[in-house]
Amino acid sequence: MLLTIALVAYVAGMAGALLTQRAERVANALGFGLAALGGACGVVFSVVSLAAGQAMTSAPVTLWSGPIPAVRLVVEVDALSCFFVLIVSLVGLAISIFSFGYARTYYGRKNVGVLAGVYNALLLVTTLVFIAGNLWMFLIAWELMALLAYAMVSFEHEDREARQAGVLYFIMSHLDAACILLGFLVLAQAAGDFSFASLHGIGAKLSPHQRDAAFLLFLCGFGIKAGVVPLHIWLPVAHPVAPSNISALMSGVFIKTGIYGLVRVCFEFLGPPPMWWGATMLAAGTVSAVLGVLYALMEHDLKRLLAYHSIENIGIILMGLGAALMFLHTGHEVLASLALIAGLYHTINHAVFKALLFLGAGAVLHATHTRNMEEMGGLAKRMRWTSLFFLVGAVAISALPPLNGFVSEWLTYQSLLQGFGTTTSLVRLMFPLGGAMLALTGALAAACFVKAFGITFLAQPRSDHARNAHEASLPMLVGQGVLAAACVFLGLFPTVFLKLLDPVTQQLAGHQLSQQLTLANGLVLAGATAQGGTVSTLGIMLMAVCLLPVPLALWAVFARRARTRIAPTWDCGQRGLTPQMEYTATGFSKPLRMIFKALFRPRREVQREYDFSPYFATTLRFESHMEEVFQTRIYRPVILGLFRLSRRLRALQAGSLQAYLIYVFITLVALLLFAL
Amino acid sequence: MHPPSTLEVGSQIIPLMATLMLVVQLLLIAQRMLLTSIRLFAIQSLLLAGIAAVVAYYYNAGHVYVVAVLTLVGKVIFLPWLLTRLVHRIQIHQDTEPLLNAPTSMLICAALTLLGYSVTRPFTSLEKLGNNTLAIALALLLTGFFLMINRRKALTQVLALLTVENGVMLAAVALTTYGMPLVVELGIFFDVLVAVMVLGILVYRIRENFDSMDTGKLDQLKG
Repeated sequence: MLLTIALVAYVAGMAGALLTQRAERVANALGFGLAALGGACGVVFSVVSLAAGQAMTSAPVTLWSGPIPAVRLVVEVDALSCFFVLIVSLVGLAISIFSFGYARTYYGRKNVGVLAGVYNALLLVTTLVFIAGNLWMFLIAWELMALLAYAMVSFEHEDREARQAGVLYFIMSHLDAACILLGFLVLAQAAGDFSFASLHGIGAKLSPHQRDAAFLLFLCGFGIKAGVVPLHIWLPVAHPVAPSNISALMSGVFIKTGIYGLVRVCFEFLGPPPMWWGATMLAAGTVSAVLGVLYALMEHDLKRLLAYHSIENIGIILMGLGAALMFLHTGHEVLASLALIAGLYHTINHAVFKALLFLGAGAVLHATHTRNMEEMGGLAKRMRWTSLFFLVGAVAISALPPLNGFVSEWLTYQSLLQGFGTTTSLVRLMFPLGGAMLALTGALAAACFVKAFGITFLAQPRSDHARNAHEASLPMLVGQGVLAAACVFLGLFPTVFLKLLDPVTQQLAGHQLSQQLTLANGLVLAGATAQGGTVSTLGIMLMAVCLLPVPLALWAVFARRARTRIAPTWDCGQRGLTPQMEYTATGFSKPLRMIFKALFRPRREVQREYDFSPYFATTLRFESHMEEVFQTRIYRPVILGLFRLSRRLRALQAGSLQAYLIYVFITLVALLLFAL
Repeated sequence: MHPPSTLEVGSQIIPLMATLMLVVQLLLIAQRMLLTSIRLFAIQSLLLAGIAAVVAYYYNAGHVYVVAVLTLVGKVIFLPWLLTRLVHRIQIHQDTEPLLNAPTSMLICAALTLLGYSVTRPFTSLEKLGNNTLAIALALLLTGFFLMINRRKALTQVLALLTVENGVMLAAVALTTYGMPLVVELGIFFDVLVAVMVLGILVYRIRENFDSMDTGKLDQLKG
């Protein structure tokens, strides 16, 4: 019922905003207001359903049935759908509130009605992807999502960069849709039906080769959507150029549709997994996590940096899912459930904190009109609330206790570290290796956000834009506040939230773990099995709060006696500190650039012109580049080969009607001969 | 139902008329005068209408009469009239030399007919209107296609397309006792009608712009 209201609200929001395009204010209020209403309904619906547990699996509802019997649009809400509906609704709610303020910046410049209308449509089709009950519904919603997102990526189409990003996104979306379609056709052929119910466990009916082919197709297809390395190249290009609220939606929710697809397909449709599926997924996740964060470190475009972090976090999620598949193979269902919980928990966590960070970046972008961090600085004094919320997001994404990123990464560690004992084959080495890489990722992410927060918000403003920055409007702050609160809640009360995951793991892996994961009346989180560790974010928080007075007390006792002297900061003998002396983003990341030289292939050029002596240069030109390894080493050769092939094939296009007819004729005769 | 003897008569008349359609098709391939070609097409369509009428009569399939009447009105009377008028308007009465000369064309058509027979052999048991009708339908389709490739004038190509369509209709009537559902038949019929009218206009335009209706000149449009 509530879900119906949510969907109707999205439809109404879309129609309303598009119909009132002429009156920007009305369109803004109507569009984003109804979207927020829909989001709120969705949150309540999914939380209530998940809390109710078993009874929630509803019968499939046919929305539309076509003239051909198999063509029907069916929705079906089970626990997994509910969980992802929760993600899209929660993030959608916060972004809608934020957008209400953010869209004002487009008044008189762009069509706000279209922005709000398409935004509602996006929420609608994303929800439909999650609750689709048969292939028609799923694929149609999936394609609509890609098309609408393309429209939003190219929303600021006056900008050449946005147009190119849109085209790249479009091409990659087509590729992923093609892979997914092929994979589903393999499954549907065996099932003889298109409903998800009949695809359940269909893998058992397929030959091993067909299953493997289907798995690889799905991994590629959903992997492109999720942004798994090396299929990620569209993500750091397309996410930053969209309007910031859409970036938040894309990074927070859209790429999760890839995760949803993988979970749905691998745990429900494809049947018992061979070892190498899970191992491949774990390896892909590890590579994505490490490379994602390394590339993020090198960025000084705030939104691109966040986009690369999405790749990293998708990698972490895939590590959990891959480990879960491996445990299913070895028959350790409890551990599989634990790893699955880790992956899903990180999915919602990433949705929340990445959306928060993108909204923060949007507020900063709105205030400074630049995405280049080297032109920011000093914003903490000018945008107090935004910087606080951004800090919360940064702490969460860096997996520092007591916020939510820590909880899910801790669960991932638990499952990886306990995985070593589950099998005796050499594959078990992947578990500790994955754990080590996850640790590296966490540390690098923390370094990256020290840079992102420090360069953006601290010290002195580096440009006039930053100097004249102003705090974001109230709706924008409320939107960020909702997500920051969610970060804190998911971090401090994981045991409360884990209960909501029970129906999901029951559905996918046959176990409910929230009891085993909870100790001491929900105050402590445990690692599910006897070997698992325990941790309490609440305890850490309490400790932090209790320890806070200690330095104050120490100060009160000892510092009173010290002599206080007020003097300028040491400035190397120059007179007064200027922004030019500040640490730059490029400078901050230089040590890491040197360590990972083999990957980044940095190139720098210094040109110096001087009259008398090289020490007194008249002009100095400095350039620094990094090779985009994936573009130059993988994508470019493929694209060039494609062009070469196309040029050859152009000979077929002779322009002669007879020639075209002959092609058709020869094909027809050849097919007839083939039939003989 | 009719007694078996009459049914037998029907199942002999139909292959006979179908074979005549194929003969007309071969004449069409050898024919270069446009007006004569149009008349040959009209005769072929008349034979098709006759087959439809025979099927309708012997198998009590009332709606196949509709097909017969439509074929008669459309393909025997209206389209030939339209095309004849077009020939008079554009003042071209003869097709240029085809790509392959008549003897070679005949050999190729013989080969295509053989192909039609060998491909349809597994299906002859499905036919209820005597053997070979389906094979002839396929042969009509293939030779019609060949005719389309072999000629250069747009108008002959239109005629070739129409003979292909005749082949399809024959197959439809031959394969099933009652023909295809009436809706499908009507759909095909109007498709062809509209296609020919559009092509007629195109032929006229090509003639206007290129001073010829040789479709070979269309490659000048290539970028």
